[in-house]
Amino acid sequence: MDHLFAVQYSILIPLLPLIAACVSGFFGARYLRERSHWPIWIGVGASAILSFILLFGMLGHHNEAQLLPNASDATAHAEAGDAADGHWALSTTKVWYEWIGAGDPAKMGIAAPDTPSYFRAYAGAFFDPLSVMMLCIVTGIGFLITVFSKGYMAGEEGYFRFFAFLGLFIFAMTILVMGENLVMLYLGWEGVGLCSYLLIGYYYNRPSAAAAAKKAFIVNRIGDFGFGIGIMLTFLIFGTVSYFGGDPTHPVGFLTKAASADFISHLQPWQYKCVQWIPFCLMLGAFGKSAQFPLYVWLPDAMEGPTPVSALIHAATMVTAGVYMIARCSALFYGNAAATQTVAAIGCATALFAAIIAMRQFDLKKVFAYSTVSQLGYMFVAVGVLAPVAGAFHLLTHAFFKALLFLASGVVMHAMAGELDMRKMSGLKRVLPITHWCMLLGCAALSGFPFVSGFFSKDEIVGAAMHRLPALGILLLITSGLTAYYTFRLYFRVFQGPLVVPDEAAPAFAHGHEPHEDATASDSAVKTDTSPASGVDVGQTTHAPAHHADDHGHDEHHSHEPPSMIIPLIVLAIGAVIAGYINWPSNTLGRFLGQSPSYILGNQVAVAAGLPKVDAENFGLEPSHVEWGGLVMGGIVSILGIGIAWILHLRDRGLAAKLAQRLGPIAGLVENKFYVDEIYHALLVVPLWMIGKATDVIDWLVDQTVDLVGLAPRAAGVSLKRTIQRGYLQGYATAMLFGITVILLILFLW
Amino acid sequence: MPDLQLQHYLAVGAIMFVIGMIGFMTRRNLIVMFLCTELMFQGVAINLIAFGRYHNNYAGQAFVIFVLVIAAAEASLALGLVVLLFRQKNTLDADAWRELKG
Repeated sequence: MDHLFAVQYSILIPLLPLIAACVSGFFGARYLRERSHWPIWIGVGASAILSFILLFGMLGHHNEAQLLPNASDATAHAEAGDAADGHWALSTTKVWYEWIGAGDPAKMGIAAPDTPSYFRAYAGAFFDPLSVMMLCIVTGIGFLITVFSKGYMAGEEGYFRFFAFLGLFIFAMTILVMGENLVMLYLGWEGVGLCSYLLIGYYYNRPSAAAAAKKAFIVNRIGDFGFGIGIMLTFLIFGTVSYFGGDPTHPVGFLTKAASADFISHLQPWQYKCVQWIPFCLMLGAFGKSAQFPLYVWLPDAMEGPTPVSALIHAATMVTAGVYMIARCSALFYGNAAATQTVAAIGCATALFAAIIAMRQFDLKKVFAYSTVSQLGYMFVAVGVLAPVAGAFHLLTHAFFKALLFLASGVVMHAMAGELDMRKMSGLKRVLPITHWCMLLGCAALSGFPFVSGFFSKDEIVGAAMHRLPALGILLLITSGLTAYYTFRLYFRVFQGPLVVPDEAAPAFAHGHEPHEDATASDSAVKTDTSPASGVDVGQTTHAPAHHADDHGHDEHHSHEPPSMIIPLIVLAIGAVIAGYINWPSNTLGRFLGQSPSYILGNQVAVAAGLPKVDAENFGLEPSHVEWGGLVMGGIVSILGIGIAWILHLRDRGLAAKLAQRLGPIAGLVENKFYVDEIYHALLVVPLWMIGKATDVIDWLVDQTVDLVGLAPRAAGVSLKRTIQRGYLQGYATAMLFGITVILLILFLW
Repeated sequence: MPDLQLQHYLAVGAIMFVIGMIGFMTRRNLIVMFLCTELMFQGVAINLIAFGRYHNNYAGQAFVIFVLVIAAAEASLALGLVVLLFRQKNTLDADAWRELKG
């Protein structure tokens, strides 16, 4: 493993995007201008190539390992004590340099003490199937999205800034997934948070975008607080932050220690309590970053950012960091039944809750944002029900189809002059044919339509949940139905039916397919298309003014589907269809991930802790068999959801409006997102604001008191000026004489 | 008539100094005030010379030479200023310049 070319040069994977970001950032404004995407394309592309070289190198070793009789050789390896030496079958640590070495006894000239638990963190990478899979997703999809961004962001002010931040994001995200210890993870974690903030607030002169950026940052801070405490506790108890060790000074990492019964049984009672609490602290960070229930509110607002950002950061990569972290630290989580149950319960609640909200949203990106929250909930359930393979599998397929869906809605937004309200558009398959097909495939994958990627991965999670707790599985199954409904509600409304285009975009479509024609002709051609059959919701389209600030400069009437936007879309669409076959029916991804020490130790810990119904299949340690029952059930639910969407949103759109009217308050409640933002505002923001106001008053009082004290010498000075400094020369002379006399008296008579 | 002792000289110096001081504090005429400061200078100068003689060295006299030279330079400057001030207000009254107090 160590001799692999890509491992030797692994530092380039984060470094190239960073250098590219610096080049774009520093030279973009003046010299590169509209060529600012080139450094990022090259940097991220090279980093993606390296990641795939790494993947294929590792797959080669994987196949060698597969030749061995491998029924459970991985677990045998772990039990035989190979783990303690940091020699795992399919993983390696590459240390670049010592990053933090606080209180190193050697450097301080003290002889090594008995307890060598000084803080040490290496800048280094840990490569195992999990991190390499994540690297390929991040750099691969990241590259496709940078390609897409060239077309999407063309002509925007601050073009270079966008690409510089994108490069910085890829840097932080690769650090996050490949870091060999929790501090590296934390560095990447905060780095992606920063880039998320910067990119949500890309249109910083739009107040809503600035507010959304702040909200994302602050909500994440709540989670990161817990995460930071978790890391500190980890160091306190285990004396290291490295996952599996592998560097000379820390041959044993904290996950290896957590998996060792010997270590756990020798802990003090308070230390044991801390070990129980660490997963909860880390979990809080994951809930913030991955937008889970109490802390999900930032993600829908994050759609204020440019659409490629929503696709890359807020759907495909950054928000899955929490899932990655829990899968990585499964040895900490799976020894603790309460922690796994909490993760699963929160995940399931979020999945259902967000899916319900998504059903009544009208903004394309908002629907997909809530759908992302919901799908992340699935992944949390997967890692919570001890099925990390299913979680990683869904993470992979979701990255494909959700990036695709966001990019496709980006194309729609681009063509519709920034309009995203699905009540104002319809039948777009006629003007955006390729986008239509890509969107259809993406929607099919998201809704779990049979034999498209989402079908397999979602089913695996539902199956695992069903296996552990049937109620959980049933809730997830219902959520699948809702997912299919809201996804196809959007698809049928936007792409099917009569052609309706928002007013602002109308000139470009005045002549149907030929936007190059003279567009000054009035939009009457479009209005004739607004047939009464299009239903109540669409009726309001005609004279609503647009408030969206995304004006993509439609004065030049170029094609609505430029190649740099369409090619990534097609690649992602292919991925969204076939990604499911990576793990079905032959369980290839699972067997690959099963070689990851995280998975091996996670399984070991879960078994040792006596958790019920631990299934080695779900850790990729044993080949799994296809469960046709679950697949059929999932397929039926998905088709049912699509059917309902078809009835309500294509066959008779009036029916949907009537139904909403009938449901009245409930529909209103859902449309207003259960007033969660308002509740947070009343319960958290307002009290905090009041506390702030109160401290402000106290501050004012203190200030005034200090000023008052300052007033005393000032008043004294003024009074002296009035009495002594009168301008009479004789007076001054007298004062001098008097002063000298006093001084002399003191000197001689004291 | 008794011999002139140190204290006689010191008494003369002190008297001259005090006369100068009282003059400075009571008179308003700029030129008279200036004269009074000169008187105070000379009182101090007598002290220096008397002590120089008493201690049998020339340090006191050397000081006085310096004082005289500087006093001469300063006198020319101060009288020039007085002339300028007089030209401004046509009076030598020091109180006429009270506004300079700031």
